[in-house]
Parts: sequence; C-alpha cells; structure tokens
Amino acid sequence: MARIIGGIGTSHVPTIAMAYDKAKQNDPDWQPLFRGYEPVASWLAEKKPDVLFFCFNDHATTFFFDHYPTFALGVGEEYRIADEGLGLRPIPRLKGHAPMARHIARSLVAEEFDISVFQDLALDHGLHSPLTMMWPSKPDWPGAVIPLVVNVLQHPLPSPRRCYKLGKAIRRAILSYPEDLKVAMVGTGGLSHQMIGERAGFNDEKWDREFLELIDRDPERLASMSIDDFMRLGGNEGAEVIMWLIMRGALDERARKRHDNYYLPMTTAMAVALFE
Amino acid sequence: MAKYVFDLERSAKGLRLNRFLHSLTQKEQRELFLRDPDAAMKALTAEERDMVRRLDWKAMQDYGASFFCLEKLARTKGVSNPQMVAAFRGETLEAFLKTRRVPGAR
Repeated sequence: MARIIGGIGTSHVPTIAMAYDKAKQNDPDWQPLFRGYEPVASWLAEKKPDVLFFCFNDHATTFFFDHYPTFALGVGEEYRIADEGLGLRPIPRLKGHAPMARHIARSLVAEEFDISVFQDLALDHGLHSPLTMMWPSKPDWPGAVIPLVVNVLQHPLPSPRRCYKLGKAIRRAILSYPEDLKVAMVGTGGLSHQMIGERAGFNDEKWDREFLELIDRDPERLASMSIDDFMRLGGNEGAEVIMWLIMRGALDERARKRHDNYYLPMTTAMAVALFE
Repeated sequence: MAKYVFDLERSAKGLRLNRFLHSLTQKEQRELFLRDPDAAMKALTAEERDMVRRLDWKAMQDYGASFFCLEKLARTKGVSNPQMVAAFRGETLEAFLKTRRVPGAR
C-alpha cells in the first residue's frame, strides 16, 4: 500500500524561481533563502519519494475566470511548463502519476469532494518555483507529481476547514492505493503578503511565526479561522496559506515539524517547513 | 472587512480587461501587442485601452483587473512587481524599496 512519508510547506513566490534560474545561490541577498531549503532537499534525496502531491494555485495562467474551479486535480501522464509572460523556464516537463491520481479522484468523489479533474495542462510557478529549490530537474525529475490546483484568487475561496478536511480525505485516498509507493505532501503559498491596494507591501512577521507554530502544533485552530481572519492577519493574498492546511491534514497526526526557515526580503515572506 | 477582494462582482466587471491581460500568456499575442497595441486590444473599450496604454496599474486595479492578470502585462512590458506595488501604494519605486529589508532581492 502507498505511504505518506512526510510533508513540506513552502512559499511559491515567482522571484524564488528567478533567483534559481539566475543561479543566485551565493548572492548575499538570496543566500539565506537557498540555505533554508537545503535540509528539505537533503530529506527528499534521502527518502526518495515516488510522488510529490502538490497543493498549489494557478495564477490566472492556465485557468482563467471564465471558468474557475475550486479544486482541480491533475490526472495526466505529463504536464507542460506554463508561459507566464516571459517564455518557458529551462526545466523539463513534469511527470504525472496518472494511475494514483485517478484513484485519488475516484476516492475523493466517493467521499463527496466533487473535484474537477484535468489532463495535460501547463503548470505555473505556483508548483515549480518551490520545486526547483528542493528537487533536481537535471537530467530529469527524480519522480512524479500529482498537482492539486486550489482557488485562492477569486472569492468565495474554500474555507480553511474545508481545506483541512480535504487533506484528511486525500490521506485516506493515498493510503488505500494498492501499490507500495512513497508519497510526500507539499502545501504551498504565503506567508504574509498583500499585492494590491494601499495596503500593498503589508507583512507581519509576528503572525507568520505564529502560523509556523500553529501549523505544527494546532492545525485545528487554523482550520477554525475564517478567510477574513487570514486576510486581516496575513494580507489579502496571504490567505493562500490555507493550502498548507491541505498538506497538514494529509499527514499522520503524530507528524511534527523538523525544520523551518523564514526570510522576508521584499514583498512576500518566504518560508519553508518540513514535517515528518 | 478587507478591501480590493477579487470577488464575483469584481471578476464580472473586469472580465473583458482580464481576458485581454490573460491573452499575454501567448507569445504571438505579446508580439502583436508590442508591435500594434490597438490590434491586440480590439476587444477592449476606449477607456480600457487607455488604461493599458498608459500602464496605469492603479486605474486597472480599481476597474477590476486581477493582480495576477496584471502580472502578464507587467512581464510583457518589463515592469517588476515592486514597481506595481509602489504604484498601488501611490509612491515611487525608490520610496517603496526604502521600506524593504533587502531592496536588492528582486
């Protein structure tokens, strides 16, 4: 049977991908960020998960507001890299795990999570800006991804509680998959930032640090908060951290945080955390 | 309550403008826009075309543009996110960068 070996929470800021693609590992402005991902990259290299289950959002790149899904699960064999206005990043296409993804889709719908499914769509930086910090892309990716695209752009957003429950349903789906595969959960987004209005540039390190504690010790408390609470505390766009709750909900209740890193250079607080 | 929440009302109001901005994810559309803006924007109203031509980020935002669609226009025109954020705050890029911990990280 498939197993969930741990989870990762991570920001998905586009400049993380820019810093990686421009090889800024030793640039003093970026070094604290790269250092923070090293324990996570080592953990993945050591544990060798077959599949990374990625909870992230598209940024009106592949999905547009003429038809915007709340939860969309990728069930394809392969995913293209999306063009977000600057051409393609120099990384290979992502490999999917269609049989497991189809199983998860069936299991979720049977549990009344009526998700959308998609095949070979292009995926944007929401997934691969953190991915390249943790997983080698050369000569090719060491494993497959199962992408879950979450609406955190157009309100109404799914509630934090719904995300946490979805994580638990994803756990049951993965654990009931018959093949002996290792899966790591990834929840992306945040931490505090606001990109719009007079409050653009807002951050709150105190709240971010508290979030990094609560996601470890008391995710139930985060799940009982509202989207308005998350927007007030972490900025309008910061409410996307509800995607960490999907990851957290899918972990064993005994899982604990093993590492975290926090860096706030510009407009978005960049965090990464490892749970096992 | 939070302001500027991109809800269904805002999404409906901004749909035509956002559809144009989103089209800039296609290389051919970006090239057309840079070469012949009016041809690329023919579905837009005069008011919308004017906001786009002037790169008036705040006016587009107030009108109903999604920040994430505006990013496509910004990338096409070589404008960074800190420049857009400074425009929303009503300050210069230099003034905004003074409020940041690592102004070079962009």
